[in-house]
Amino acid sequence: MEYIKKSPWVIHYDGSSCNGCDIEVLAALTPGFDAERFGVINTGNPKHADIFLVTGSVNEQNAPVIKQIYDQMLEPKVVAACGICACSGGIFSECYNVNGGVDSIIPVDVYVPGCAVRPESIIDAVVKATEVLEKKQKELKCSKQ
Amino acid sequence: MENLISESLTADLLIVVWTIVASVIFAIIAPIVGCLFAGIDRKISARMQGRVGPPILQPYYDFRKLMSKEKSATNGSEGTYLTFALIFVFIAGGVFIQGGNILLSIFIVTLASLLFIMAAYSSRSPYAEVGASREILQVMAYEPIIMLFGVGVYFVGQSFNVGDLFMLPQPIIIFLIPVFVCFVIALIVKFRKSPFDISMSHHAHQEIVRGMTTEMSGPNLAKVEIMHWSENFLFIGWILVFFISANPVSIIIGIIVAILVYLLMIWIDNNFARVKWQSCVKWLWILGLVVCGANFIVLMVL
Amino acid sequence: MEELIKDLLFGLIGTPIIAAVVMLFIREGKIRNILTYAFAAIIAIGSIILVATNIGATYKEIAVPDITLEITHFLGIALSVVIAGVIIGFGIKYKNKFAIILAVIQLLASLYVEIFIEGGAAPKSTSCLYIDSLTVLMVFIIGVIGTGIIVYALGYMTDHNKHLAPEETDRSNNFFALMFLFLSAMFIIVFSNNMIWMFAGWEVTTLCSFLLIGYTKTDEAIKNSFRQINMNLLGGIAFAAAMFLSATQLQTLEFNTFVTTGLTSQALISLPACLFAFAAITKAAQMPFQSWLLGAMVAPTPTSALLHSSTMVKAGVFLLIKLSPIFFTCIAPQLMVMLVGGVSFLLCSFMAISQTNAKRVLAYSTIANLGLITACAGVGSPEAIWAAMFLMLFHACAKSLLFLCVGTAEHHIGSRDIEDMDGLFRRMPILARFMMVGMMAMFIAPFGMLISKWAALVSFIDSGQIVLILILAFGSAATFMFWAKWLGKLAGIVAHEKNIEKTVHTSEWIGQMVMVVLVILGILAMPVISEAIIMPYILDVFSAFGQYGIYYVVSLQYVGMSNLFISLISASVMVLVLFIGSGKANKKNQADIYLAGAGINSEKRQYLGSLQTKTEATSRNMYLDKYFGEKRITPIGNTVNIIIMIASALFAVLSCMGMM
Repeated sequence: MEYIKKSPWVIHYDGSSCNGCDIEVLAALTPGFDAERFGVINTGNPKHADIFLVTGSVNEQNAPVIKQIYDQMLEPKVVAACGICACSGGIFSECYNVNGGVDSIIPVDVYVPGCAVRPESIIDAVVKATEVLEKKQKELKCSKQ
Repeated sequence: MENLISESLTADLLIVVWTIVASVIFAIIAPIVGCLFAGIDRKISARMQGRVGPPILQPYYDFRKLMSKEKSATNGSEGTYLTFALIFVFIAGGVFIQGGNILLSIFIVTLASLLFIMAAYSSRSPYAEVGASREILQVMAYEPIIMLFGVGVYFVGQSFNVGDLFMLPQPIIIFLIPVFVCFVIALIVKFRKSPFDISMSHHAHQEIVRGMTTEMSGPNLAKVEIMHWSENFLFIGWILVFFISANPVSIIIGIIVAILVYLLMIWIDNNFARVKWQSCVKWLWILGLVVCGANFIVLMVL
Repeated sequence: MEELIKDLLFGLIGTPIIAAVVMLFIREGKIRNILTYAFAAIIAIGSIILVATNIGATYKEIAVPDITLEITHFLGIALSVVIAGVIIGFGIKYKNKFAIILAVIQLLASLYVEIFIEGGAAPKSTSCLYIDSLTVLMVFIIGVIGTGIIVYALGYMTDHNKHLAPEETDRSNNFFALMFLFLSAMFIIVFSNNMIWMFAGWEVTTLCSFLLIGYTKTDEAIKNSFRQINMNLLGGIAFAAAMFLSATQLQTLEFNTFVTTGLTSQALISLPACLFAFAAITKAAQMPFQSWLLGAMVAPTPTSALLHSSTMVKAGVFLLIKLSPIFFTCIAPQLMVMLVGGVSFLLCSFMAISQTNAKRVLAYSTIANLGLITACAGVGSPEAIWAAMFLMLFHACAKSLLFLCVGTAEHHIGSRDIEDMDGLFRRMPILARFMMVGMMAMFIAPFGMLISKWAALVSFIDSGQIVLILILAFGSAATFMFWAKWLGKLAGIVAHEKNIEKTVHTSEWIGQMVMVVLVILGILAMPVISEAIIMPYILDVFSAFGQYGIYYVVSLQYVGMSNLFISLISASVMVLVLFIGSGKANKKNQADIYLAGAGINSEKRQYLGSLQTKTEATSRNMYLDKYFGEKRITPIGNTVNIIIMIASALFAVLSCMGMM
């Protein structure tokens, strides 16, 4: 068993969104949903985080920021695009300054649909993400050997 | 005379050897117990907030995960500083559980904090620097009380040696209740609990990201975690100094009180908002000056 | 053996004088360098031999031939006149009335004592020179650290002269002559049993530092040098008055006799003891006299190093430690010394927090530490003396190291502001580490200073000085604050910064290396120094107390030996840590710092701000000027200390009157 599965620390970045998903992410951490049951901690610091939760679409201005946060996270790391805007750009996808979903900048491992995304599905996404993390951890170990 | 000196020298060297052995033992026990304490802390905090909370072993999982992460740092000194900060905490613990000098133990813990501060400064990250400055302020705030705790212990027990203090006919708390109260409040800072968690906190979304640990990641962060657990264990040990005397019952009382104090810390942590550093320094200094000072004056008069 | 010691003693007093005369006439750089190295080596080796041959020395008078006594008597008178003449001359040149008046008063007082009292009211002193373990310690400090600083000055002055204005002439020959003369005067102070001799040395140090502070001849330097001379002349007058009282009331002009008779006739001694203490307090720059030492910062850095570590201020605390058995038994001077020292320690530690100028931080820290030594001397118990002597030794090593480092850094980064030392760890890797060692030695366990502070704490507890305990607790906390934040600034690592310390002169490195080695050896040798030098002195002094004294020494609970061992292990590890940490970029995975995802250049801390502008993140340490500023605290300290001094002087006068 990889311990990373039991201790997913997240960082949350809200891109160009309507703030709906943003609020839902925070709601997932409230006592009502209690994400800490699974060891989830919202770190607010890419250097500590394992899972990158992005809400909202990517535009010209926030693209480098998302890229940098992703780069500053340490391996193994997983990106979860939360909400339809983060997945594909959603209703903003045709805007002149919007690049599209998060996968237009960085590789995304978990796509979470919803507008806005429900706290339950966010927790579900994190749990899914931990599986990906575990897989990546194992791959890393293999590549080292 | 010559003989006497060489004899006492051997005895002294033996104490040093025992201290090293004790440090190794401390290095094994303290992280384990400290980790459990941290787990219980998180569980109780969760229950206080009406949540289920993580498993008791969650801090251990976190630690293992951090160890398995990729190694990376902003510079080559940070890791060295942290490693030795950890080692110094172990030595401080060793001095303590060997029955050695309590002031030496206090001083070496301060040395470990200094190394931690240097590690934070070495990154030159604005967030870490602000965190480190605040940590220095914190040390300045609690250091008088911790030092006066040592003074009080010596006042009553006529010795700094923990071994001697545990052999006293009465526990020293009888004479040092005000100092004890101040000490517990100073410990809130050392445990990094609200309302005094101004330099870094366990909780996310501070105005300074994660303060001192902003730039520490992976295994380096794991060292910080272990250091924190070991320190907490040591501080709880310091509480015992107030209660344990030659009477064996006092050991049980001491442990019960130490646990109660720890629970009190958790309660305080969950019920108070963070204060400004000005208040932190002001309150702790006033407490140290007035309450500890009054305690000593009364002791002198008696 | 006796002869060897005598020769060494005269050699140590004489060699620096010869060196000073030689320096005065040599302007050629290369020859001067060689000669300075040679003289420094002779003095240092002589001191070390004297220390080595006198390990565990108890009080021992050194016989001086009668003819020498006669000569020195006239020399002394001539010296007083010359000193007063020089001061009055400068006083007239720069129109400083106060200095002229004080110099005249002091001249009259000293002449009166030298001509009429010696051989009149008090028998002519025959035992003029002596040696004991305290002297041995001082000889080490003056002979080794002092000469180390002079060697350092060779390189420093070369850089210093580069910044001279074209019309200025190079006067560094005077500078070196004064530095050597200073050492000689210090040796006279620590070897003299005869008060008049000691007074002569005392005045020479005052004059030398006056000239050294005014060396650059800028308006500020002149102003500050006159402040120094005025304050120290006040102390000199007090010294002369104390000699007068001692001669008329106790019929002695010998220090040793003064101290031993003092133990039996307390009422008679309190006033002269207060006056001596006052003289020492002015010299040790305790509040309210701290401003002269702060002003002394205008001088070239080697001067500051010399004044702060091995000479001048150390003469003040040396006198206090010598008098400490009197303070131990006599309440009026004890209260004065203890409280003035304690208040200076606390408030100057606070004020050091508010300073951004590195040299001023060092100055405040010096005053604070001297305050602690003063307080310990005032307590006067065996433990307190133990602590005071160690504090003096470690302070001398660490502080001179820091001054030498700051001086070099100033020449290379062009600033003495702490904020400008950001990232020095990469720019001047070795220098920064030396500086960090020096700082740690100043404030953190398990280095010497803190162990000594700990002993001071024990002595305060044992003597029940609650006020001093509280002062020490809060003062130490403030000490942590101002050192740690400076240390942090130095520790900052900018991985690809250019190394700029290639041009540091060899002589500067030598001076610094000497201090670093002393700092580290000092910790390693602490148990040995305690047994070989400090304990013999304490036993020696307290044997004068008879049964009573032996009781005190036996109960001496100095910091246990095993703790010293643990400390020295930790300290050695700590020094290693500084050098293990590469301070370079991380080899494998160099990470950029977190700048909220908008970073552009990690090393310059640049990020993309609003409207896509390049912005630099800057951060400064906290100086808390609002709380610990000079303007706020200085008046408090000055007032409190003046009141304490007046009150204890009145107390002493009253107790004198009661006796009569």
